[in-house]
Amino acid sequence: MSQFIQILILGLSLGGVYALMASGLSLVFGVMRIVNLAHPALIIAGAFVSYWCFTLYGIDPLLSLPISATVLFFVGLLLYKLVFEREARNAKYSEMTVLLTFAVAMVIDGFLGTLFSNTQRITSPDYATDAFFFGEIFIPKGQLYAGLVSGAIILALELFLRFTRIGYAIRATTQNRAAAELLGVNVNFISLLAFGIGVALAGAAGSLVSFVFSFFPAKHWEWIAILMSLVVLGGMGSITGTVVAAFLLAVVAAFVGAWAGATWSTMTFFLALFVILLVRPQGLFGEKPENA
Amino acid sequence: MPETTATPDDIEGVLKARKAYNEDLTRTARKGRLWAAPIGLVAVLAALPLLQFTGNYNYLLHLVLYILMYVTMASSWNILGGYTGYISLGHNVFFCIGGYFSGMLLAYFDISTILTAPLAGIVAAAVGFGVGLITLRVRGPSFIISSLALLMVVRILFDNWAFIGGANGVTLRLMDLPVQWSKLPYYYAFLVIAIATITTSYRIKHSKFGLGLRAISQDEVKAESAGINTRFYKVLAFAISAFFVGMAGAVWGEYLTYLRPNIFLIILVAANMVLMSIIGGKGTVAGPIVGAIMIVIFNEFFLVTLGSSEINILATGVVMVLALLFFPNGLVGTLANKNKLPRFLDWD
Repeated sequence: MSQFIQILILGLSLGGVYALMASGLSLVFGVMRIVNLAHPALIIAGAFVSYWCFTLYGIDPLLSLPISATVLFFVGLLLYKLVFEREARNAKYSEMTVLLTFAVAMVIDGFLGTLFSNTQRITSPDYATDAFFFGEIFIPKGQLYAGLVSGAIILALELFLRFTRIGYAIRATTQNRAAAELLGVNVNFISLLAFGIGVALAGAAGSLVSFVFSFFPAKHWEWIAILMSLVVLGGMGSITGTVVAAFLLAVVAAFVGAWAGATWSTMTFFLALFVILLVRPQGLFGEKPENA
Repeated sequence: MPETTATPDDIEGVLKARKAYNEDLTRTARKGRLWAAPIGLVAVLAALPLLQFTGNYNYLLHLVLYILMYVTMASSWNILGGYTGYISLGHNVFFCIGGYFSGMLLAYFDISTILTAPLAGIVAAAVGFGVGLITLRVRGPSFIISSLALLMVVRILFDNWAFIGGANGVTLRLMDLPVQWSKLPYYYAFLVIAIATITTSYRIKHSKFGLGLRAISQDEVKAESAGINTRFYKVLAFAISAFFVGMAGAVWGEYLTYLRPNIFLIILVAANMVLMSIIGGKGTVAGPIVGAIMIVIFNEFFLVTLGSSEINILATGVVMVLALLFFPNGLVGTLANKNKLPRFLDWD
């Protein structure tokens, strides 16, 4: 029984991190219908920001989180202006953007790989290897803090979307782009902003990732399918759905990992993706997409 | 009142006239086509190894062989991605399956992969057919994501399957030919496979099947309501495109003399197939050929001048972004739109 609870706790704390990693992806898809395959590469970029802050200046990754989020926010604005803005009028828009983000992911991967080489790295603040003990059960501090911080960020994002004017505009654009534009929402500006926020979320997630997982530039290919499975299971564009899916799949993966070994725990996400696409392509919380 | 309902005889007459008109059209199109260019190219390629009598041109042969392999893979990808419009980012899965199937036959029974390549193609096509039945149910971005997930699943399976060597792979036997001639069997094998792929691609494009595929890429719902069995068409296109990629994988494995998941299942191989088709011209017969030649030479140039594979990924990514933004129709497509396509590239 205690083992069961132990696995559950580990799964839940990882689920929190996954939720933050995938929420930016979900936001960007919701507002712009861009399936951002470069999202995990941007997470790695964020992880590198925190890694160097820690290695060079000794700044704790939890404190450098705002730094990497800000840096990545501007990277996001730049990416949108350079790459995605001009694609908005393309008839095959959503397919085009998938290919484009794929290419952008390669650029980021190659760029980071050239600069820092593909060696495994991890930020190691004291708490990353420490744990709280409750009798037989332990909670790793690193994962707990990461889970709590990402929970706080997602909550802040949700409040921002619900109670600010810009939040209204973002949600309106998600629901119906044309109608939002008719009602006076500056859809282009909102898209730019939402893309920036989405990439900033990737940066924030990167800071947490930097001490929870070891990372290297090419690792993002592995994460693409993992994060996609969360977004697809939750329903493309639904942040709530993504969060629920993250906890669900992280816990299932933790049990699979404990039962069959770590290799197969990653497999859970990929197989889940196939099953969802087969059984319920619109996901748990999604509406039926217009083109399926 | 005059009779306005058409009798069966009238309809037959109309159909006959239309058929005659269409045949006339194809005849004029065929007359305008320059058959000398492809036939001359094949003749030159077939005669190229004669250079070995005059010196050591192994590097040149390797380069041409490598281009032929990617011509096969890009043209093959094009049957699904270009004609049907379903973009697969995990097509190297079939490359890997073909490579391992034939490679294992070589390792255990000592049969050359050149002989078993068609078999490897059939296995890859069968897997493609099965996978297609599942993943082709979704369209657009969802399909692209599912193709990436397929790549990840197969990577984990091959990395952990002890029978086929896991992540360390298998070493295959070396050819006992003298160095000077050692590349020839593979060179001709790839030449034959490439010709077969391009011929198939051409035949598909000029058939009712190809017309159906293009209808699917334009508007699947309308294609379906026009009486096309879209599901069967798509899955068949997937299987055909897996077939040739599998054959290429089979010969490539023996040529390298070892099999390892990370030579077949890296994202760069998949990206190359997509990039070559797009940069040459997605959905055209000649496009992937032009694209493959361009990208391989470009890659080789980068490898020679800059070395390291990371910068190669960076360069490939940058070229891909620029190509997608400014040349979404590719070289052949852009030239064709401007009516400036040279006749030797006009195979459509």
